[in-house]
Amino acid sequence: MRLITHNMLKCHVKNCTDPDKQFPLRFKDVQLEQIEADRNDEFLVRMLPRIDWAALLKTAKELNIELPDKVPESPADDGEFLSTLHTVILETHVKDGSMVCDGCGHEYKITNGIPNMLLAEHEI
Amino acid sequence: MPSFIVHFAHYHEDFCLAELEALSVLEGVKIGYNKTSYSLDSPILLIDVESPALAEKLVRRAILIRSISEYWGNGSTYDELFAEVKKTPERWQQYMQCSFKFSVEGFGRSLTQKEKVAVIESFSFLGFQGPIKMKSPDAEFFVYEDYGKSDLPFPAEKPKHIWFGRVVGRGSRDLVDKFDVKKRKYLGNTTMDAELSLVMANQALACPGSLVYDPFVGTGSFLLTCSYFGAYSMGSDIDGRQIRGTAGFRRGVDGIKANLAQYQLAGRVLDTTVFDICRNPWRSGPMFDAIVTDPPYGVRAGAKRLGRKNGTVPEKSFRIVDGIENHRRDDYYPPTVPYEMSDVIADLLGFAAEKLVVGGRLVYWLPTVTDEYDPKDIPLHPALRLVANSEQPFGSWSRRLITMEKIAETGPANVLSFLNKAEHEPAHKNFRDKYFSKFESVSPTDSQ
Ligand SMILES: C[S@@+](CC[C@H](N)C(=O)[O-])C[C@H]1O[C@@H](n2cnc3c(N)ncnc32)[C@H](O)[C@@H]1O
Ligand SMILES: [Zn+2]
Repeated sequence: MRLITHNMLKCHVKNCTDPDKQFPLRFKDVQLEQIEADRNDEFLVRMLPRIDWAALLKTAKELNIELPDKVPESPADDGEFLSTLHTVILETHVKDGSMVCDGCGHEYKITNGIPNMLLAEHEI
Repeated sequence: MPSFIVHFAHYHEDFCLAELEALSVLEGVKIGYNKTSYSLDSPILLIDVESPALAEKLVRRAILIRSISEYWGNGSTYDELFAEVKKTPERWQQYMQCSFKFSVEGFGRSLTQKEKVAVIESFSFLGFQGPIKMKSPDAEFFVYEDYGKSDLPFPAEKPKHIWFGRVVGRGSRDLVDKFDVKKRKYLGNTTMDAELSLVMANQALACPGSLVYDPFVGTGSFLLTCSYFGAYSMGSDIDGRQIRGTAGFRRGVDGIKANLAQYQLAGRVLDTTVFDICRNPWRSGPMFDAIVTDPPYGVRAGAKRLGRKNGTVPEKSFRIVDGIENHRRDDYYPPTVPYEMSDVIADLLGFAAEKLVVGGRLVYWLPTVTDEYDPKDIPLHPALRLVANSEQPFGSWSRRLITMEKIAETGPANVLSFLNKAEHEPAHKNFRDKYFSKFESVSPTDSQ
């Protein structure tokens, strides 16, 4: 699973609705992998408004990944920034591990890069 | 604007104009044509485009278009056609010396080599002096004899209509073969055929820089076709075995990942995730440029949602199995209940209205019962405009490829409340029961 996807997923357990806790999910025991991906700057720029930067920053810190604190004024002209962004959100994969919700404690497992976001019977 | 002859592939006729319109938007090429001049009986349509270069661009991604030709003439007899061609001799001049070839094709009747040669010779008045070259000639001319309906036992002696032009562009029908499901490393019993999966990518305007999502991803056909055209894509399914390839046939080849490697698309197919779309973990707000999907009809792979028939029994999650709480086991699978077709579709529209960006498209299959079909069955939503509705008939039932565009932002509060569920019961309601009780015909996957 790539970090762009992680940035789009929140805990969705019933009654777990504290926006500060259900997102972003905290990685636990993860095994990271870097895999080259096709770069498209137009895509990166278009995704910026859809990315929650504060959450991405928090996750990057947890994983010891460098990321600027702020999105630059005109990201489209900032090759270095786009290159970093590309590496972080599209080329950084979580192969195995889990994502934990700080609100309810649900642990979403990631196996072979595929997150299992199904809820248990008591969570729906 | 100059006229061009579009030569459609004579498959999925009801999809041809919809695809042409989608390509016009996708490629930013303005077109003009008379809707009534297109008939399902003929694969030819005359359209206006500003230039040959734009005509070429218009069709380069087309799946249902074979070629596009600069219009030189037409007629119900060769004499009429020749008279028309002779009106613009200034057009011939630039082709006097270059290499060229003629292709002659018949619709509704196949032509012998001898007949084709005779046709080509009849055009000798053009006076072309360049060499004939079968492979990549400088100019290619197209003669099309239309004998009318293709399925008559005794085709007409003479064509009803003849078209003539210079070929300026071709579609991408070779992709139908490239993505042929039989050639894929991984497939399942609900894998969508290549041609329609490709057409869907065009309807969705999937292109470099866009993000496409399939909430019923199965074996991932649409991720392949949309990402082939440059889009980044994601998918999810309630059944992780579909994604991993641990159920059905072709097990153990590594599921969707095997196909990504085969088609070298792992750099753009971003992720596949396991969850029930009714209980989805997407954070709120618009995220996708297109949602492209084949919702479960409930015929083969039944639609399911998390839940238990007579209400949930949360305690069952906590029962100790093999020493640990049931829901924490690796192979825990929560209980599911049937998910009714009309609810699936209503939920899908509500989801698309929230998750698409404005201008984004929802492209999905809707099954309808032929006898009961009423245009009112096409579910509507105030945030979504109906763009196209193309029918693929199977006798007593059909499936329709519906294309919608998000035109406005809606608050989550009004989602679903306006679907005319109560007033009108759509023919896809209880589709599964109807399918099993009265249709004799086979499902599309059975017939493959
Ligand atoms: C018609 S198949 C899709 C096939 C896919 N287009 C392909 O080419 O392989 C429908 C899929 O929807 C899944 N499904 C059924 N109910 C679901 C739900 N509530 N949420 C998510 N996926 C669901 C099924 O597991 C099945 O894989
Ligand atoms: Zn939670």
